[in-house]
Amino acid sequence: MEIVFLLEQVVNGLVLGGYYLLLALGLSLIFSVGGIVNLAHGAFYALGAYVSLEVIKYFGFGASIFITPLAVGLLGILFERYLLRRFYTADPILSLLVTFGLAMVGEQFIRMVWGAAPLASTMPPEFKGQLLVGDMMFSRYRLFILGVVAVVMCGIWLLLHKTSFGRVVRAGVQKPDMVAVLGIRLQPYMTAIVMLGVATAALGGVLFGPIAVVQPAMGTEIMTVAFVVVVIGGLGSFWGVVLAALLVGVVRGITIHFEPAAGEASMYVLMFLVLMFRPRGLLGERIERFE
Amino acid sequence: MSAFVNQKYKSLWIGVAGLVLLPLVFQGIGLTLDAATVVVILAMAAMGLNLLVGTTGLVSFGHSAWFGIGGYAAALAQLHWFPGQMWVPLLFSVAFTAALSLVVGFLILRRRGVYFSLLTLALCALTFAISFRWTSLTGGEGGLGGIERYTLGPLNLDDQLTYYAVVAVIGLAVLYVLLRVVRSPFGHVLVAIRENEQRATFQGYDINKYKLLAFVLSASVTALAGALLVFLHRLAAAESTTVGFSGELLAIVVIGGMRSFLGPALGSVFFLLFRELFSMYTDNWLLWFGLIFVGFIVFSPSGLTGIWAQLRRRFQHQPEDSAAMSKRKIYEGLPLPEFLRPARREGEVLQAQGISKHFGGIQAVREAQLTVEAGQIHALIGPNGAGKTTTFNLISGMFMPDAGKVRLNGQEIQHLPPDRICQKGLARSFQITNLFKGLSIYENLRLSLQARHAARFNFWRDIDSYPEIHAETAELMKFLGLQGMEEVGGGDLSYGGQRLVDLGLALGSKPQVLLMDEPLAGLAAAERERVSNLVKTIASNIPVLIVEHDIDRVLSLSHRVTVMNQGEVLMSGTPEEVRNDRRVQEIYTGTGTPPVTGRVAGHAGDRPLLLNFEKVNAFYGKSHILNDASLQVREGEIVALLGRNGAGKSTLLKTLVGLVKPASGQVEYAGRNIAGLSAPDIARLGLGYVPQGRGLFAGMTVAENLALGRLARPTDGSNGIVWNEEQILHYFPRLKERMHVAADYLSGGEQQMVAVARALSGNVKLLLLDEPFEGLAPTVVQELFTVFDLLRQHVSILIVEHNLDLVLALADRVYALERGAVFHEGPAEPLLTRLDYRKQILWL
Repeated sequence: MEIVFLLEQVVNGLVLGGYYLLLALGLSLIFSVGGIVNLAHGAFYALGAYVSLEVIKYFGFGASIFITPLAVGLLGILFERYLLRRFYTADPILSLLVTFGLAMVGEQFIRMVWGAAPLASTMPPEFKGQLLVGDMMFSRYRLFILGVVAVVMCGIWLLLHKTSFGRVVRAGVQKPDMVAVLGIRLQPYMTAIVMLGVATAALGGVLFGPIAVVQPAMGTEIMTVAFVVVVIGGLGSFWGVVLAALLVGVVRGITIHFEPAAGEASMYVLMFLVLMFRPRGLLGERIERFE
Repeated sequence: MSAFVNQKYKSLWIGVAGLVLLPLVFQGIGLTLDAATVVVILAMAAMGLNLLVGTTGLVSFGHSAWFGIGGYAAALAQLHWFPGQMWVPLLFSVAFTAALSLVVGFLILRRRGVYFSLLTLALCALTFAISFRWTSLTGGEGGLGGIERYTLGPLNLDDQLTYYAVVAVIGLAVLYVLLRVVRSPFGHVLVAIRENEQRATFQGYDINKYKLLAFVLSASVTALAGALLVFLHRLAAAESTTVGFSGELLAIVVIGGMRSFLGPALGSVFFLLFRELFSMYTDNWLLWFGLIFVGFIVFSPSGLTGIWAQLRRRFQHQPEDSAAMSKRKIYEGLPLPEFLRPARREGEVLQAQGISKHFGGIQAVREAQLTVEAGQIHALIGPNGAGKTTTFNLISGMFMPDAGKVRLNGQEIQHLPPDRICQKGLARSFQITNLFKGLSIYENLRLSLQARHAARFNFWRDIDSYPEIHAETAELMKFLGLQGMEEVGGGDLSYGGQRLVDLGLALGSKPQVLLMDEPLAGLAAAERERVSNLVKTIASNIPVLIVEHDIDRVLSLSHRVTVMNQGEVLMSGTPEEVRNDRRVQEIYTGTGTPPVTGRVAGHAGDRPLLLNFEKVNAFYGKSHILNDASLQVREGEIVALLGRNGAGKSTLLKTLVGLVKPASGQVEYAGRNIAGLSAPDIARLGLGYVPQGRGLFAGMTVAENLALGRLARPTDGSNGIVWNEEQILHYFPRLKERMHVAADYLSGGEQQMVAVARALSGNVKLLLLDEPFEGLAPTVVQELFTVFDLLRQHVSILIVEHNLDLVLALADRVYALERGAVFHEGPAEPLLTRLDYRKQILWL
């Protein structure tokens, strides 16, 4: 019985990891192309959750999964065009400060529009309940989330590795000068990637609205976790982030089972440990600008 | 310097005035006394944070952690261990936080930049998690109540005004301490770390110690503020540890002004006023505050005090560079200052033996050795890729050699970090200007001299109480010819001035041996003369090792020369021996025997002009690389660009292609003016570029690399030729089996083929090749040579190549570049066939 329960926790941990993965991936994408650590990422996640609540009222949950990320993604385009772009070549500290400030602004904006009290978000009825797999019980909704995350992750990987668009992005990350002399203007690609990163954060908000607490500070809360994942996995490493997300999810899940109050603290301890022994993360690359 | 005396403690008097006026003004506008106390507390916390952010350049997103820890420590101390007391818990909280921050700082300061900042964020979140959830310790959500203030002698601290006064006095004391720290040698090193961490290390400062102390000090001050707040509210709560509060502290620092000492204090006044006044109108005052924060970062990162300083500058005249330069007094022919002369030594001072280093799979340096003797100027020369810069970096401590030993006066130094090497007596200057650009020249040099002084870690005494350091700085400035320009900022100097300061920084380390990396690069003739004379004067006391491309100058300057080629030492001897040595001449000018079979140059005199590159000037930073450079390329010809390293050949190609913006001059291509166009636009007009090192994209296959070549350029052949896949395979059949192999795994020759094919995958009329034959086997060289030869009928080629035997056989005409200007232009054939003529033109 114990082993089964433990396995359940591991799988739930993987679900949790999938949760973090969605956000961490978007972060990592934005970092790869622009060299900027987007501390405002959580604000887009929170916005996704709140906007989704509005969209659900008119179009239902299913539609919200597509509409909300798109809408917030458009905001992401403005974000890139008018804010982020100024800081690509600036002192990295300034880009950290500005995105941090934007996160503050985002949280306050949400508070202004929707109020400070937590909002209720109901789970779509099709996903309520449990699913029995052998001896193990899993929440249907969490499995659904895991499925969506897997699809998105595959989609992003395919986009980056099997399409022309992805090739340009990967080339631009390595050698922007070389890309330019091949006649390719890199700026629109960067805008698109930022939009994609922001949209995945918003999708996270849509998916996790029903099971998380929808309140203005939810962005900040998820951000620290997302950063732990990205730092453990290594800034700019796709598989590192995947591995780290799953690791954090599992560690956190198991810790919560044994000592609930220590759940949050456990992943910070994990992060400090990883950083002490593998400074650039599990599979991270050396990014000189940030040293 | 007497103006300083009033300046020095100006902040203190402003602080006193502010603290006296604050409660009066606040009560006047209807705010409470407690609000004034909060301002002082926040100011304290913000100034503590600014020691880290503004002074040292380390951004902490988690300072609320220390604020909270200080508060909880004081509360817990009073509740459990020192009931009935206030001052002991206060002291305890500071001591505890100092100890904790020492441990934490030791762990997280090992990571720099972004990682450090993210770690502080995690620390903050962790602290919040603990405060919020460890209810038995911290009271959880409710916090720890029941904290009392008690009395101080006859003063009842429960009275609002009394408590304000006490907090104000403590605040003033903190201000005084921070002022002393900032004015101390230690404080000045923190600023140097912020400006240029690498250079600070090379000047002999063990920066980790400095950062750690700054971290501990910063955390302790903030913790004190946190404890005072707990006594104010009589409650320790988790709100103090939130990331949000960290953000507010950071915003206070930025809005007030990171670079100013009192900026954070101003920021906290602003913050509180804003909060109190705006919260009357709207619940969302923090939103507007956040927007102001973002606005400041985007438009005025130096905050309110920065705006104030800018306004002042409009009404007062600041010394401009030209005005400052006019105050400059140059003394020629001064001897080296006494304090810079090492104890006279004879024999070998620096000895490197068996030095080897590989990077990835490439052996950059193999078994290199050289010896520098007392009184000697020793030059290290060699063509591109010879390994001389790497050897130089290995000796000076930038990298550690894989094998071999470096001895300085008999002591082994190859395993030491750069700051220890400097302390042992080896100093180096840098080729790419590596100063503390935001600081004045005077400060730059003073920092270097300070590093060798026993008091360099002192954090209490004012730097003006070390007159000997000031005297040395003045004398060094006079020696360098910079007297009168003390206040000019490092970044505002001309290029020549910056190089002098760079040299001065190295000299200021009072070295036993001085290493100079291309000291003459990019200097105008007069400056080159002055620097050479300086080097000669220095060398009469301190032996010098120079790496330099300007061979003529360095041969006439040095006593001994070591020549490197392809990672190994070729020979070492007197300048005369080197000048006349045939092997040395060969590696620079070739043997006269082309290694390939093939064509003979043709004439293109009557064909239409394709490219007219006229009087172009280009800069790299302040270094003037292209100097009225001019050349022309006609249709159907191959033109070679020759010259030694540093002559500007690669920069010329990059300017042509749009990666470097020309400062002046004309670039006319196929009848269009392309100067100033972006690189993608120029590429689409038919310029193909194969850079040095090929520029293939790692992690992508040959096919994918080629696809990127086709993506954004026209491929219809309307303005030039273009190769489709069939043609690529026709010219480079070898690539057929390699189509789906990742570019990283190809041989050098195959990579070069892919690079050329990729460039030709879009319409190309003018093909630029930068060192295409570098590192290739002879058979591959022959293959490529034939292909380029065949291409001549369809495409014009401009090729940079240092293998003269090879490129002279390929090209129709040549241009030879030296210091950014063309000094010879003509047909390739005579240079190819007559070796003595070639040497006459191209060798010294």
